[in-house]
This record gives sequence, C-alpha cells and structure tokens, in this order.
Amino acid sequence: MSFNVSLYSIDAIVILDNQQNRIFTKYYKPPHETPENDLITNIKKQKQFEKDLFKKTLKQNTDIILFDNHTVVYKEYADTIVYVIGGLNESEVLLYNVLQGLTGAFEIILSSQLDKRSMLESYDMLVLAIDETVDDGIILETDASAIAARVTNPPTEDAVNIKIDLSEKGLLNAFNFAKKNISERLQQGF
Amino acid sequence: MTVYQECLQACNASPIQAKKCRKLLSRLLRLFYAGETFPTVESTNLFFSISKLFHNDDPSLRQIAYLAIKELCSMSNDILMITASIMKDIQNGDAVYKPDAVRTLSRVLDGSTIHAAERLFKNCIVDSNQSISSAALVSSYHLLPVAKDVVKRWTTEVQESITANKVFPTSPYTQHEFTGYNKTPNSTFIHQYHALSLIYQFRNNDKMSLIKMIQQLTERKTLTNSLAQIQMIRFVEKLILDDPNFVHSLWPLFVNWLNNKSDMVELEAAKLILNNTSKFNSEQQMHAITTLQSLLGVPRTVTRFAAVRVLNKVAIKDADKVGVCNLELERLISDQSRSISTYAITTLLKTGNIESVDRLVQAISNFMDEISDEFKIIVIDAIRTLSLKFPAKYKSMLTFLNDVLREEGGFNFKNSIVEAIFDIIKFIPESKEIALEMLCEFIEDCEYTELSVRILHLLGNEGPKTANPSTYVRYIYNRVVLENSIVRSSAVIALSKFALINDKDLNKSIKILLKRSLQDVDDEVRDRAVLSLKLLESKDLVEAKSYLLPQFKYSLPILEQELTKYVQNPDKSSFKSSFSIESIPKISEEEYMAVQYKEKLTGGIDDVIVDGSDDLNSKGNESNDDVKGLDKISDVTKYTLLQQQYQNELSALPEIGDYGTLLHSSAPVELTEKETEFVVTAIKHIFPKHVVVEFSIENTLDDIILENVNVVTQLDTEEYTEELTLPIELLNPHSKGKAYSSFTRPEDDDEKFMLTTMNNTLAYLTKDVDAEADEEGFPDEYQIEDLSLTPGDFVIPTYISNFTNVWDELSNEESAVYNLGDEESVDLQQVVTKLIVTMSMMPIEGTEVVTSGKNHSLKLFGKSIAGGRLAAVIKFAVSSKGVMMKNVVKGEEAELVELVANYLE
Repeated sequence: MSFNVSLYSIDAIVILDNQQNRIFTKYYKPPHETPENDLITNIKKQKQFEKDLFKKTLKQNTDIILFDNHTVVYKEYADTIVYVIGGLNESEVLLYNVLQGLTGAFEIILSSQLDKRSMLESYDMLVLAIDETVDDGIILETDASAIAARVTNPPTEDAVNIKIDLSEKGLLNAFNFAKKNISERLQQGF
Repeated sequence: MTVYQECLQACNASPIQAKKCRKLLSRLLRLFYAGETFPTVESTNLFFSISKLFHNDDPSLRQIAYLAIKELCSMSNDILMITASIMKDIQNGDAVYKPDAVRTLSRVLDGSTIHAAERLFKNCIVDSNQSISSAALVSSYHLLPVAKDVVKRWTTEVQESITANKVFPTSPYTQHEFTGYNKTPNSTFIHQYHALSLIYQFRNNDKMSLIKMIQQLTERKTLTNSLAQIQMIRFVEKLILDDPNFVHSLWPLFVNWLNNKSDMVELEAAKLILNNTSKFNSEQQMHAITTLQSLLGVPRTVTRFAAVRVLNKVAIKDADKVGVCNLELERLISDQSRSISTYAITTLLKTGNIESVDRLVQAISNFMDEISDEFKIIVIDAIRTLSLKFPAKYKSMLTFLNDVLREEGGFNFKNSIVEAIFDIIKFIPESKEIALEMLCEFIEDCEYTELSVRILHLLGNEGPKTANPSTYVRYIYNRVVLENSIVRSSAVIALSKFALINDKDLNKSIKILLKRSLQDVDDEVRDRAVLSLKLLESKDLVEAKSYLLPQFKYSLPILEQELTKYVQNPDKSSFKSSFSIESIPKISEEEYMAVQYKEKLTGGIDDVIVDGSDDLNSKGNESNDDVKGLDKISDVTKYTLLQQQYQNELSALPEIGDYGTLLHSSAPVELTEKETEFVVTAIKHIFPKHVVVEFSIENTLDDIILENVNVVTQLDTEEYTEELTLPIELLNPHSKGKAYSSFTRPEDDDEKFMLTTMNNTLAYLTKDVDAEADEEGFPDEYQIEDLSLTPGDFVIPTYISNFTNVWDELSNEESAVYNLGDEESVDLQQVVTKLIVTMSMMPIEGTEVVTSGKNHSLKLFGKSIAGGRLAAVIKFAVSSKGVMMKNVVKGEEAELVELVANYLE
C-alpha cells in the first residue's frame, strides 16, 4: 500500500438531511480525464451508496467509517449530515481537516446553527463555500475562516429599475426624446 | 423545467437584476447537486444566457455565475466562446472573483487552446494574492493530462511560488458576521501544497533533482503548511521505495516529522515507516510506534482511529513491537467509537501473550452483545488466528466460539465461526473431539444449508478417524431424515465414509441406512446412495477409498487457468482432444495443510478484510473481493502462476516453443540504472536443454526511435553456446519491448549446474522521430551490465512443513562463513531479503522477518530443477568484529550444494 501522490484526494462531498434526501452531492473527477469509476457517473449507484452509508452512520456518534472501499468522515447535525469521502488509503486526518474547514465555514457564513432550513435558505453561499474548499477533488483550503472569507454575500438590494423623474427638466427631457424619435421615424417611413 | 425558463428569462433581461439572478442560479445549482442533468441543447442555452450576466459588475453575482458555468462546461457545446470574457476578467476583474475565473478557465481550455492563456497563467501563479496563485496552480494541475508540455514551461514560476510569501486579502463583499471565531489568517500557505505537487509531476522521473528540492525545502524549513508537508512525506516514500539507501540520509527529516505539531504529519510519517518495514531498522520503527502511542490518547476520534488502524496492521506482521502500546490499547476497548474499540481488541489479541489470553477472551465475551455482526466477524477472525498461535488454549477458545455460535446472527457471522472451528480442528488435533461434538449440535438446528453441507463434509472426513466414530453416525443420519435434498445428499456421502473403516458392525449398519436413501424423492440423493452402496460392495474397498476419500487435491488456481486457456483457444481443432487433467499439479493432503497453516497464521486479518467486512450489506463490494482474493493467494501459488504465465508467453514464440517445459524462471534482474536512456531488465528461463534470457528493454528517450534492438552476448565459458536471438524490430519513444537470446545448456550430469557470466551489449539502429520513413538509421551500441547465471537459477523455492526432519535427513553438507562488515553499515533485514531472492529459496517458519538486531537465523528450502531437495540455514551473529554470517547448505545433489554454499554476493 503506498501513498497517493496525486492532488486528487477527495472523492465526493455529500450533504443529506435526516430523511436521506440529497441537499448537496458532488462526486468529483479530474476535469480533463474520463472517469473509470461507476460511482462518478451512475446516479443509481450513487443513491445506493448514499443509502447504505446513511444507514451505517445515522446516530452512530463516530466521526469516521471505512465504507465500501472509501474512507468517510462525517459530522452529524440536528437534521443534516455532512460527509467527506476519500480513498481507502487517504489520510484520515486530512479528510477530517477538510470536513472541519467546511463545516466551520458553514457556521460562519450561515451565522447560526447548521440545520436544513438555513442551508437551503442560503444555498448560494453553501455551494460557494464547498466550491472554495474542494475543486474537482483537489483541496483548495482547509481553514474555516479563510474559506468563509472567499464566499461573497448575496447582493443587498436590486437597484430600482425605472426611475421616473417628474421634475420639470425631466419632463422636458422626455419630450425631447420623444420628439427626436418620432421625427426619425417619420423621415424613415415616408 | 420552470427553473430553466426563469433562468433564461432573468439572464436575458435588461438591466440585470443581480439579487434575483443570484437566487435563480442557486436554484439551478441545487438541481445539479441533486443529480439532475440537462440535455446538451438546454444546457448550451443556459451556458450562453449565463454568460450574458457578465454585463453586470456585481462581484457576488459574478462568483456564482462562474460556479454555474463550471458545472455546465461538462454538458454543453461550444464552451470555447466564453474564453475571451473570462480572460478579460482575469486581467482586470475584481480580486474577489479572479480565482473563480482562473479555475473556470481551466475547464474551458484544452490542449490546443491553452497557448493563448499561457502568459495569464504565469502571471496568476506568481500573484501575491494567495487565492489567485492557488487557483492558478490547481488549474494547471487540472490541465496536466491535456497539455503537460505547456504546463511544464511554467516550472520557474511554480517553483518561485513555493517559497514566495503570499497574503490572503479580504474583500468587503465577503464580510460575514463572525460568530466567536478568530480573525481570518494572513496566509494559510496552502499554495505550497499545490505548487509542490505540481513540481513533483514534472520531476518524478528525475530522482536527483527531486532529492535536491527536498533537501533545500526542509533545510530552511520553508514548508509551513501541513498538507504540503504530507505531500513531501509521500514523495520521500516514493524515493525510498526506489532506493532504500536514502533512508539513512533522510532520517533526520523523519525525526522532525514524527514530532510535528500537526497530528496529520506525525501520522503520515509513522504510516510511511510502518508500511515499509523492510526499509527501516527496528529502532526507527519503534520511534514511529512511540509516536502512534501518544496519538492513541488524543481527544480527536479520527486521529485515534487512524493511529489504532496503523497499529493493528503492524500487529499482524510483528506483534511484539506493538506490545508497548498494550496499556493504551486496553483503555481503548471501551472507546465510544465501535470501530476504534474493535481495532483495539483485534490488535490486543495479536499482541497478547499466553497468560493474558484468557482474560482477553473474557473481556470480549462481555462486549460481544453490543456490537454489530460485521465487527463480530472481525473479532472471530482474530480469535481464530489467536487459537492457532496458542494451541494450548484451545479449550477456552472453543467455549467462546460455542457460546457465540448459539447466539443469533446472520450467515456471514455464523460462517466465520464455523471457519474458525474448522481451522482449530485441522491444526490442533487434540481439540478434534470436543469441536466435532459442538458442530454436531450446531447442525441439529442450523438454518443455513451451505454451512450444514460443509460441516457434514468435515464430519465425513474427520469422524472416522476418531476413537468412537459411531457417535457421529446418529447426528449425520438425522440430517438424512430431516433436511432438504442438498443436505441429504451430502449426508449420504458423509455416511458412506464411515463404512470405509475396518469395523464390520458399523459397515453393516451404514449399508442399511444407505439402502433407505434409495427410496429418496430426490434423484441426486438416490444417485449418491447407489454409488456409495456399489462401491462398498467391492471386496477390498481400495476403489471405494479412491473415490470417496481421495488422497490428493488439484491445485485449483492452476486448474482454473488451464481450463480457461483450453476453452479460449482460438484454434478450434484443439477441442478434438479432451482436456487433460494430468497437466494439473496434484497437491498431497500434507502439503496442502502446510501451505494453509502458513497462510492462516500470517494472513490473519489484514486491513483489507476489515474494510471488506464493513460493507457486507452493500452490493458494491465485488472489487473488494478481488483484492481479498489476490491477497489470499499464497506465495507458492503466486510463484506457480507466474511460471505458468512465462511458459505461455514463451511457448507462443515459435523458435522457443519446442524447448519443452520451463523448469524455472528467475526474478527480474536490473541491468541498468532506472534513470538511463534505456532501461533493461532480464529474466533467466531454464529449459531442460536450453537457457533463454528475456531482456525487457524500455526506451526512455523523447525523440529517438530504435530499430532492430538486439543484445549481443559474450560468455566466459564454452559449455554454453548461443543458439539464436530474437531482436525487437521497432522501439518507439517511451515504449517497452522484449528481446530474447537462447543458449544450449550442457547436458552432462556433472556439468548440469554450470555457472557462467554473460557480457552484454545492446546493439541497435537509432533514428530521429522526425526522420523520413525511408531514411536509414545509424548503428549504435550501449553497454549494459553483466548477467550471471547463479546457483539460484537452478533452484525452485518450495514450501515444506517439517523443516527440521528434512534437515536431518539430507546428507551432503557444505558451509561457508562470511564477514559482512561492521554493524553500522549492515541492515540485517535487507541482507535477508536479498538472500531470499538470490538463493531463490522459500523462507520457512517465518524466518524471513528479522526480529532482534543481534542474532538471526534464516531457514530456506527449495528443490533443484532436477528435483533434488535443498535446504539452507544461515546464521547471523553480531560481534565486535562485525556481522558474521554462516551459511550451511544441505541437499541431495552434492555439486549444487557446494555451489549454493559458496556463491553469495
């Protein structure tokens, strides 16, 4: 058994709720290679994998499990479980650091306890946080506050679309605009 | 689909409403991450609509737009169109989304379009913003498979960034209300991890520059990121696997790693050392174990788990070393994580000594109720290994197994218990009666047909050998009355085996019982009863015995291979002759037992099995079984399979095909360094009248094609004469080929084991890759190392169970004494491993592992190609004068004995 020197160290990140519905699932593959593993492409296998994994981990109160040729570290919250999945020989602590960075960042950006509702409410920030942690299997960052600092808040307000200027000058402008347009039309048309 | 419509609408609206779009895109992403995919047309539409969002400058919208584009890249067409906008962003955009832009760019580009972005990538790699630099490095890494030569040109920039100081700026767009967390760090140095891994991809073939880099980086302690340190440890492992000599010079690094402030680094270093025990001396290994010992007590579950997992693995090979951790391990039995406690127990079961066994078994029986079936199986496996190790304790083991056998449990669990009992019966004869009794009771109400059948088979084999066979007949006959047809038919055969012993009364009653089965409703049961009765009617029972109790088994892996070969033979005419069972080697019962015993004792439970059993319920464990299967094949079988493969390969060559059976093949010998222009390894194949040398030649040059590659050989003896050579016609850059040379072997008896040295030169025509097709190459030569025919080439490693008896039987003895030099420079384990290979003999009684640093004796056994037995005992003693080695060889062929004893490198 020898170490994997490749940067591709995370196989998947999965977040499920307590009914085993998917909140977030992403099975990673290098972007410029064709996947060999069924788990990456076959959604049926993924669901089966998640189902079995869920059964094994729910209310077990351990942070790690070796499952179906994968090392899986996970964290359980009130109504959600976050899984980080790596190879069998991947360093357990490395995976756990990724998990900690990720969940730590969630806690910062969602600025509350982690539950399904807040996750779905701020889904944009959730997915951005995951994207800033792992990029197609490569670990980008494991420090929770650094991950959080890469995630943008949603825009505060949409700018009001149409400003109607009712001052005298505004009316005059509108009139001039209309005049110009109409005269152009007339010239073109006739 | 509504999300799709709304997305299109919002993206095409003008002006763009940032908040609304971001919300919509996050809904779109939610669909992706739930597993939805869009057809190509739709996703291409989406792709281009989203690209319109680039008109809006809100960074928070841009960031999520990049994420959406990244996800869409793999499903859409014409993604190249967006390159220009992305590149504009990278040049002038806000630092907040620049990293995302860089990462997206690497998805859009391919090998032909990467050139346009080269300067951009270089600039980003050296950027002082850590996120941008990291993103660029990771993107380059992604691009490696399609554009390695382009990425290679950025080496200078990448190298600079390892040592450069990068900062981690924050932006007003990413301010969150921190809930009690400390502030964002100035830099996490993660770019070092990315840069280092990328550099390694360029240099992994160049050992010298790699080692230089490692030394430079570690001397100045520039690597602050622990992920980067881990990566470094992994590189070092690769180096050491290639060349164990580095261990000595790199050891100071290990000391540093083993006392690192990051537990991740400590674990990784310890894993490296303990996974490659042959490369490190025992003091160094102890150092690693002490580190793990301290990690067993940390609060973090994952760290404890990782540490105990490594220790468990070490304990399989070398239980004594882990003994120091026993105290910590016992504390872990009550760990809240079941996986940890199971690992702790199984480790303890291996490290335990004969006094503590009873206590341990007691502790486990208290604990058995609380754990799941899978963990129980692991424990049972450990118990099985333990009972073979301490045969005297079989009583308490059997009581334990009997208790758990009565408990509720699934098939796999029961199966493992039955397996354990089987092994105890096989290898601890005194336990037989008690154990058989237990099994008899178990089948009285066993719900699993397969287990009943196996137990009945065992009863049939073992029952007649006991003092009171008739007791078992009742149990077996009960099965005939009560069970389904499969169990009935195996019970019939088991019964008939009892009739084979010399007991008239028993014989008669069994015939009566069998006659009743003639009326059975199932034809298989009737057939078997008829066959048994017919055989038992014969006078001397010789024939009956050969059918009912055969004395040998066929080697199953070879039988399987031969059958596949037979069935898949493209030449249809070969089916005219039926498959010949004669070609399959037979293994006598005794040999079979010996091999199995060895496997059971050493194999035990290893990591794979532990991991395999974790997912017994899941369906996707086929690959797991494969791994297990490979692991379980014994050395002997591996050797035979390899020989078969060689034989097949060679007989496919018409020139060599008629040389007859392959007697022995040597291990591959390296004739060049691994980094040279041409890498050559040789395998020596011995045939009855010939020696064939197989040269495997690899052309590692980028731009040279070789033609007509041949090995020119000069021999230093006249007894061998070159018969023919088979050159490689064409060897492209970075490809491998095989050339063969064959020599006739002296046939006289006294020259049978003639040694010789071959002086080899590689001769070939070189040609430039770009050269015209009709251009002639020019001839060249390349000196490679000499190849010797050693005594080991005439010896086939063979396993034997009773080494001491055979040792005393053999008559011709020869001995030799060597001084290996002073203690410091000699690693006994290395010497032992090398001896096993050069002498080509099988280590017996587990003596291939050096346990103490001072003295060791290695026992080896083999057979000569003529079939004569050969045994060797090699003793090592460390004294003030240096390490002394005494090699005593005994065997049936005096000449070979002399050669083997005196030929050592």
